[in-house]
Amino acid sequence: MGKLDINVGKLKKNAFRYSKVRGETASRIRIPGGVIDSKSMGRVVEIAEKYGTGVINITNRQGIEIPGIKLTDMEKVNAEVQLIIDSLRINQPEKGKGYPSSGTRNVIACPGARLCPFGCYDTTAFAQKMENNIFPNDRHVKIAFTGCSNDCAKVRMADFGIIGMTEPQYNKDRCVACKACINFCKRRSVGALELVNGKVVRDTDKCIGCGVCVAYCPTRAWTRSREHYFRLVIMGRTGKKNPRLAEDFIKWADEESILKMVKNTYAYIEEYIDPNAVEHKEHIGYIVDRTGFEEFKKWLFEGVNLGPKAEVNQRVYWGGRHYDKYGG
Amino acid sequence: MGYVLSREAFAAVIADLSKNYRIFAPVRKEGAGRFTDVDAVIYDYVCDSEKIELEAKSDYASKEFLTPLSETLLYFTENEVKESDLDTRPVLVFGRSCDINSLKRLDQIYLDNGLAKDPFYKRRRDLVKYVLIGCGHSYDNCFCVSMESNKCDDGYVFSIDLVEDNIQSNVPDKDFDKYFAQHCNDKKDVAPRYVKENEVKVAVPDSVPLSVITDALWDEYTTRCINCGRCNYVCPTCTCYTMQDVFYSDNGKVGERRRVGASCMVDGYTDVAGGGQYRRKNGERMRFKVLHKISDFKKRFGYHMCVGCGRCDDICPEYISFSNIIGKVYQASKEVK
Amino acid sequence: MTNNNPYLPFASDILDVIKHTEKEYTFRMAFKGDVKPGQFFEVSIPKYGEAPISVSGIGDGYIDLTIRKVGRVTNEVFERYKGQSLLLRGPYGNGFDVDLYRNGEVVVVAGGTGVSPVRGVIQALSQMPDATDKYVIAGFKSPADMLFKDDLKEWEKKLKLTLTVDGAPEGYTGNIGLVTKFIEGLPLKNPAEAKAVVVGPPPMMKFTIIELKKKGFKDSNITVSHERKMCCGLGKCGHCRVNDTYICLDGPVFNYEFAKNFVD
Repeated sequence: MGKLDINVGKLKKNAFRYSKVRGETASRIRIPGGVIDSKSMGRVVEIAEKYGTGVINITNRQGIEIPGIKLTDMEKVNAEVQLIIDSLRINQPEKGKGYPSSGTRNVIACPGARLCPFGCYDTTAFAQKMENNIFPNDRHVKIAFTGCSNDCAKVRMADFGIIGMTEPQYNKDRCVACKACINFCKRRSVGALELVNGKVVRDTDKCIGCGVCVAYCPTRAWTRSREHYFRLVIMGRTGKKNPRLAEDFIKWADEESILKMVKNTYAYIEEYIDPNAVEHKEHIGYIVDRTGFEEFKKWLFEGVNLGPKAEVNQRVYWGGRHYDKYGG
Repeated sequence: MGYVLSREAFAAVIADLSKNYRIFAPVRKEGAGRFTDVDAVIYDYVCDSEKIELEAKSDYASKEFLTPLSETLLYFTENEVKESDLDTRPVLVFGRSCDINSLKRLDQIYLDNGLAKDPFYKRRRDLVKYVLIGCGHSYDNCFCVSMESNKCDDGYVFSIDLVEDNIQSNVPDKDFDKYFAQHCNDKKDVAPRYVKENEVKVAVPDSVPLSVITDALWDEYTTRCINCGRCNYVCPTCTCYTMQDVFYSDNGKVGERRRVGASCMVDGYTDVAGGGQYRRKNGERMRFKVLHKISDFKKRFGYHMCVGCGRCDDICPEYISFSNIIGKVYQASKEVK
Repeated sequence: MTNNNPYLPFASDILDVIKHTEKEYTFRMAFKGDVKPGQFFEVSIPKYGEAPISVSGIGDGYIDLTIRKVGRVTNEVFERYKGQSLLLRGPYGNGFDVDLYRNGEVVVVAGGTGVSPVRGVIQALSQMPDATDKYVIAGFKSPADMLFKDDLKEWEKKLKLTLTVDGAPEGYTGNIGLVTKFIEGLPLKNPAEAKAVVVGPPPMMKFTIIELKKKGFKDSNITVSHERKMCCGLGKCGHCRVNDTYICLDGPVFNYEFAKNFVD
């Protein structure tokens, strides 16, 4: 009997890496929103010391990889990872067997409103909600959340990028025309404000809902809207063929609609994915390129009721490099 | 004489009062802070006692009734000037000891600096009576004891202290006794609570020598301070304003003159026609503000302007501590002597 | 409230408009009441705002306001002409006490629009029976910027006037140089007792006082007039305050012995 007889496809689905070092793998810890409790982090350290080489990789998508694990130790590692999975509340059909899939990638989030003065919403909470909404799933989908238009989470490289927005509320009776909002909107944002007759006028078309005016207002003339809004950007990707930034799709979108649209996307993928795709893996954007945007939209909007403020970009065009067409 | 009321009885008292008075009180405004999901405690009109924030120190001071951040004074038509109308129903302003002590300072400038009394201030002042919110403890950054504003013996019609879910009210104004007597039988001799010691203590120099006014101690604020003016806008004793004239864009013949709160930290405060400016550096502006509060005002009027509420420290986005500056000025002044 | 509201301006007829330069006009306004040179009025243009303007001349039933066109309000004032009216509030401030300068040597140093507030003082000096010990040094940016040209000619006859410009086109035969240049050469008999009046832009005042002190002037014999942002004129708005002094109430005219302690 051969010493190692491993189903590589299953290994990958179980969130272990196919390593260039023969006989070794890396365990991938899923951390939705990039927030992990210190106890779980301690367990990661323990696994790395016990089964790995005492090294921990921080991944590009806010996960952790523990390299240098023997393929023969995978079951033991899965047993030990369980407490981390429980603590981070990852959906799992069967306990003790590790992560049930890896296609849908770890959901990324910047620190958002829990820490950052500019964050327009609790990115971590929304990322965790999204994770629970869509995981486990083998389809290759990347989702990223960022608190504001600064896009520190670089959500424009994801299939779905969610950018926080607030609709600035203006109380003219508290405005003293100090112009802090106007100056900072110009310097830090898009310059959507001007002083007219001693009061501030906001160009609603130009405003990107970043909340800079609110942060800099010294009198609370500007405050945030009670509702949290989002700009949804879609179908960004890296890769060999046609890397491109995600484009604006919906401005002033709401949380519930976004959750539903992402969920709907999985049904669309099942319907239209190239049956011959390598490792059954295809960026959604290529599927959309094939079916046309209208078809994608039809699936996306199934059962979705966008709020009254939502502005939908009915035609979306992407750019990027076309190495597949024109070479490098 | 006073009363100990249940919250329900207190609610009934406020409900009755609000029939005869507009109640201007600190209110917790959900999510109205600078950052997402952060509240702000700001003054507003209320009818319901539940809306009144009795625990937290307000972020902005109670002066906003007497000196609104923005107030139209005059209306202009083609040939006429008309004074703005004012709701003349009486007003009850709820404030802490620092707020009530600040009144004297506001009056000093608006009614007793120069010969003219400010009529737009006076017409509001005449409508106001104060309700004292007692302080069961000192808050962050408060140094009212040092500024002798921790207590007010008069100047309020009744007081409120939330003690173990009961409201204790001292009612020195006989006109207000009936509101309490109606809803409460528990007459007790209660006195408003006040803070006897703050964690923050300052010593204010008797006089600030010229060498300290021009000292390098102010220089660090040229870079640390961002001249946003928050310290002024929240200050219960800041009184400066700027006039604003506008004409309505759809009818240029008609317009108004209003005044808005001014900050000596913000650009434009000293600008004169033709481009002259008297304090360019933020360090100079800081010196101007601080010395007004603890020296210049006193030289003119005989007592300190600052009441030690610490709201400027609470709100400064750059963590500049006003009370620490007083300490530095004290130290520097002592060294000169 | 209307009757005694100090914020309400009154209408005053424009009796005459004297054009000095493109940007500087004197508006002769109807006014009855006590006014002193050095005091100021708020010129109030509804919907545009108010601007503090010092009194540049006082006569029977009128005051002169010399206005420089530099902003929203003054631009609008320049649209008005003789026969129309302007809204005014005032007079505000203390003004000069002309009696101080009756006896003994007096030097008035004024720069640019700073000549306006002291014009009344100079006029008073020039009307004194013997004005030979009264000196005036008036400086302007260029010959084209000169104000009160007719007055200058009159004053020249009565008292010792030095007229200078910072710069001039070629061929100009008058004095060229800052006012400070002409202080040292003043033929004063007793500088320690002589009185001075200094009005002009802050740097000009600063360096003029340095020269006067070099010459032997006492601080207490120097009078200055300060300009700050005087918005309300009533000691309320706060913009003009320096230390514990409200320029609009306590000034704008100060003894230098006091004003030397001003730290803006």
